[in-house]
Order: sequence, then structure tokens, then C-alpha cells
Amino acid sequence: MTIGADLKQCLATIKSIEAGLSSLAINTNAEDEQRLYHEQMMVIEEIKQDLMKRIGEVEREEEQYKGF
Amino acid sequence: MPEWIHIIYRGVLFLILLFLMTKLLGKKQISQLSFFEYISGITIGSIAAEVIMGLDNNIWHGIIGVAIFAVIPFFVEILSLHNKKIRDVVEGKGTVLIKDGKLLEDNLKKEKYTTDEILQLLRGKDVFQVNEVEYAVLEADGKLSVLLKKDNRPLTRKDIDLPSINEKEPHTIIMDGEMIDDKLASAGKNRAWLKQELDKQNVTIENVFLGQVDSSGQLTLDLYDDKIQVPKPQEKPLLLANMKKCQADLELFALATDSEKAKRLYAANARKLQESMDVLSPHLKG
Repeated sequence: MTIGADLKQCLATIKSIEAGLSSLAINTNAEDEQRLYHEQMMVIEEIKQDLMKRIGEVEREEEQYKGF
Repeated sequence: MPEWIHIIYRGVLFLILLFLMTKLLGKKQISQLSFFEYISGITIGSIAAEVIMGLDNNIWHGIIGVAIFAVIPFFVEILSLHNKKIRDVVEGKGTVLIKDGKLLEDNLKKEKYTTDEILQLLRGKDVFQVNEVEYAVLEADGKLSVLLKKDNRPLTRKDIDLPSINEKEPHTIIMDGEMIDDKLASAGKNRAWLKQELDKQNVTIENVFLGQVDSSGQLTLDLYDDKIQVPKPQEKPLLLANMKKCQADLELFALATDSEKAKRLYAANARKLQESMDVLSPHLKG
């Protein structure tokens, strides 16, 4: 697989982690646990932003990696 | 009237009487914690048996006898609730039998416990060597309470500096194929949520013998048909596995790329993810 595809796969996994944490934060009824999941969701969100930026760069540099 | 009818009549009457009396005295009577509850328990039983079987006895005398042993302990309980001195006399105090890992022979003698008996009580607490015990008290109800030395106590999360986890109690929301609405409400869920979860696991509520939801909202089911495999809740382990995979991927990208800037970006994010994993894994493993 090309690095472009690898990066996109990783991004998809990151998104699924974010969604998983978000659903845990909603479903749990212990307040401090809720806060913890939410905080970690924010961290994952930051990682997601960085990764998306990087994917944009790669796509600009290497035309053939464009699209899904 | 034949005698057997008398026995039935008295038996039923005393059964109801004893039932009401135990309700009045409460759970404490059943646990027989103190001296008073112990003797009143024995005596009430004997009186009832005596009156039911011995038809020569006047039934009213029996009822009076039972009532005395119910009413006096009842009032003594109320008194001892308010006064520590009365409490000490009536309910008794614990006796220290082991202190600093040493048997207190005088106290043993006072309670008339032999070495064999104290060893037997200790073995009941899974203690086979006296020097493992820091402190032991013989309680008023005859049970031995043991505090082990710190070295011999089981390891706790605190001992190995793990972050504390504040777990709430699980709720049983399905019993015998029926959902229990007030439990569902106290778990903070509703019927729609439950229906969705059951659909996810592909079962109907009639097939569920027992269903429990834990504090993180995971539903565990036990079905009537034990041949059907119910999937265990996978959400949390899957999440952790995904995080591990992503972290490894990011590290790989950092190694593979030639651009210095991208390398730094990947490494920083891999570190962030690792930290987040460290925080979350005690919760996700559970």
C-alpha cells in the first residue's frame, strides 16, 4: 500500500477512536469518567487535525495520492 | 375438637406471631449481633415450640411469654441507641486478642478461649500463622475480626500507584424476560436505548433471563438458551486496540518519512496518543 493510503487508513481509525470515546462519554453515568473520556476525545481531535493537515500536504506534493 | 386441629391452629397462629415480631425487631434480630438478641432468639423459639406441641399449656401464657421477649429487647434496643453505657453492658464490647502480632494471653483466658480455638478462628480467616496478624478483636457476637499486617494484605490499586477508578454499581435491568423500568431509570437509560442494544446483540427481550448494565453503559446478557453464544461487550477493548494500532502507525510514519517537519509532527502525535492511552487503559481494560 502507498503511504497515502496508509495515512488515510490511520485517519479513519483515529476518527473511529474519537467516535468510540464520544459514545462512551455519553453512555457512562460516572461523572469523572465522563469528563476523562471527553478530555481524551479532545486530544484525539487534535491528533486528527494534525493528520488531516499532513494528508493535505502529501496530496499536494504527490498528485497520485489524491482522493480516496 | 381433635388434637391435631389444635396443633394446626396453634402452629399457624404462632407462625404469624413470630413473623410479625421479627418484622418489628428488624434485621438486627436475624443477625443475632448481641447477647440480648441471642437469648431472645433462643427463648422465643422454645416457647413457641412448647406451646404448639404441648396442648396442656394455655395458649395465652405462651403469647405473653413470647411478647415479653419481644417487647423488652425492643425497648432496650431503643435505650442503647441513645446511651453508650447501656450499649456497652447490653450489647457487649469486643475483646482484643492479638495486638502488634502478639497473643494477649490474659484476654484469651478472660474469654476462655483455648489456643486451639483461637487458631481455628484465625484459620477461618485464612490466617495460618499468628505473626501475620497485626490486630485481632473478638467481637461481641463471637466472631473474630482480623487486621493483617500491611505486608500480608492483598495488593490494591493504591499500593502500585495506579490512578483511582470511581466505579458505580451495576444495575439489573432485565429479569426473567421482563424489563424493570425503575432500575432502567436509575441506570440513566430508557426503553429505546435498551431496544437498540438488544437489536445490536440480535436477541428479543423474552429470551433474556438476566440483563445487567454497568456504569459505562455496557449491557451484559444471560439468555435462557445457554447454547446461544452472546457476544461480550467489545466496545472498550476494541477502542484500546485501535489506539494501539494508530500509535504504532504514527511511529512507523515518523520513521518512514524523509521530511524533518513531518517526522516531528508524527512523533509528537504518537507521544500524545501514548499518553492518552496510558490514562485511558485502566478504564478500558476493566
